[in-house]
Amino acid sequence: MEFDFTPVITYFPTLLQGLGVGLLVALVVAFMSIVGGLLVAVISVYVNKVVSWPLRFFIWLFMTTPLLLQLYFLYFGLGEWILIPAILVGILGLGFHYMAYNADIFIATIKAVSGGQYEASRSLGFGHIATIFYIIVPQALIRSIPQLGNNMILMVKDTSVLSAIGVAELVYASQYAISVTFRPFEFFIVIAVMYYVVNIFMELGQAWLERMTAYRR
Amino acid sequence: MSTENQTDTPDTPMVEIRDVYKRFGDLEVLKGINLTVNRGKIISIIGPSGSGKSTLLRSVNHLEVIEKGSIFLEGVQVNRPDLKGLAFERHINHIRQNMGMVFQHFNLFPHLSTIDNVTLAPRKLKGMEAKAAREWGMELLNRVGLAEKADVFPNWLSGGQKQRVAIARALAMKPKVMLFDEATSALDPELVEEVNLVMRSLAEEHMTMLIVTHEMGFARDVSDWAMFMDGGVVVEECAPQKLFSNPDQERTRNFLKKHLQG
Repeated sequence: MEFDFTPVITYFPTLLQGLGVGLLVALVVAFMSIVGGLLVAVISVYVNKVVSWPLRFFIWLFMTTPLLLQLYFLYFGLGEWILIPAILVGILGLGFHYMAYNADIFIATIKAVSGGQYEASRSLGFGHIATIFYIIVPQALIRSIPQLGNNMILMVKDTSVLSAIGVAELVYASQYAISVTFRPFEFFIVIAVMYYVVNIFMELGQAWLERMTAYRR
Repeated sequence: MSTENQTDTPDTPMVEIRDVYKRFGDLEVLKGINLTVNRGKIISIIGPSGSGKSTLLRSVNHLEVIEKGSIFLEGVQVNRPDLKGLAFERHINHIRQNMGMVFQHFNLFPHLSTIDNVTLAPRKLKGMEAKAAREWGMELLNRVGLAEKADVFPNWLSGGQKQRVAIARALAMKPKVMLFDEATSALDPELVEEVNLVMRSLAEEHMTMLIVTHEMGFARDVSDWAMFMDGGVVVEECAPQKLFSNPDQERTRNFLKKHLQG
């Protein structure tokens, strides 16, 4: 079999557009899943069971069912009542999915901050909430970086699943190009390299963050 | 009777502990403790582990919740069973801003530089501006001999340096009384003296201090009053010269004998 990459060059702008959509989704999802995950974790650690138990259930639900199924539920299930653009469904689905995974990490790292830290802060006159905000959460965030980085790399790869509900990200864009050019392998190789490059940068970023915070642990 | 509005007269005791009881489950750790600490006085509390001395100290700023009795800071009641929820939170935060606490394991905030450890509370709780806070922080670090470590993070400090920063941090809110909970117990022997030196300098400035310690020599030198606790009660209290050389009680003698040998 002969490789011919000229169709890839022709459709490269389409691929770049798909990559752009995928990265945009990833950026929004990263923000949503980290901020939301932290909020879920803080509430489930510090607030009473009436509030925290439903949140635990939420985490459990999203961690024990497949992402694709969750997306189908949101897209086709909710689609029965309201029309939501696919990209928004994708962001929400992926966002909630990784929010649950991130919350799981934050719960562990919040609990790992020693009780002495809490006491020291309270003894200075900081209140309960101020202590969580100034002392506990920053330390938990720093400790979360390695696992959080891994999650976010998984998440970038999982943006490809959104092609199943018609979000025009990288895999979706390549499927379109393949259907016109009949050169699947060439396109798959190129988009694999694209994912690879993006995640190399993610890993470098993670390593850099870990180095920058190592002495603050 | 309200103690809220009691005026701050020179003869109001700085800290007053009245008939305090505390239990952990079935274990009664404080069985009716009384202690009056006057302004500028230094009280040392000694005793075997499990005697309740740390629990007593931690009760003073309500890190331990007592079951019975009352504790006062300058005539204002610290434990307020009548206050609930946010009202108590506001009350205790205000009380704690007037008490500095130094812990056995330092508990410095590892994510903040040395200077930020010291200035966080005055900045956030008193609204001190960044520049003024830095100057104040540097003054305190200078006082504990660590001005050159201002921008270093706690994990790069030795145990003795950490504890000196912790003392500076506790002083940053200009407390009326300092509580030391075995401040030198976790230190390597050669690092104890640098912390003791800082505590001595505070003593010379007439800071009111409550010191739970295993350092008998230090306790004898600096304190105005010494208290021996065992089994949740005060066995004996008197001037330190007497307590350490010629105690009345057999239990005190036995404890000191063991401790001075060890």
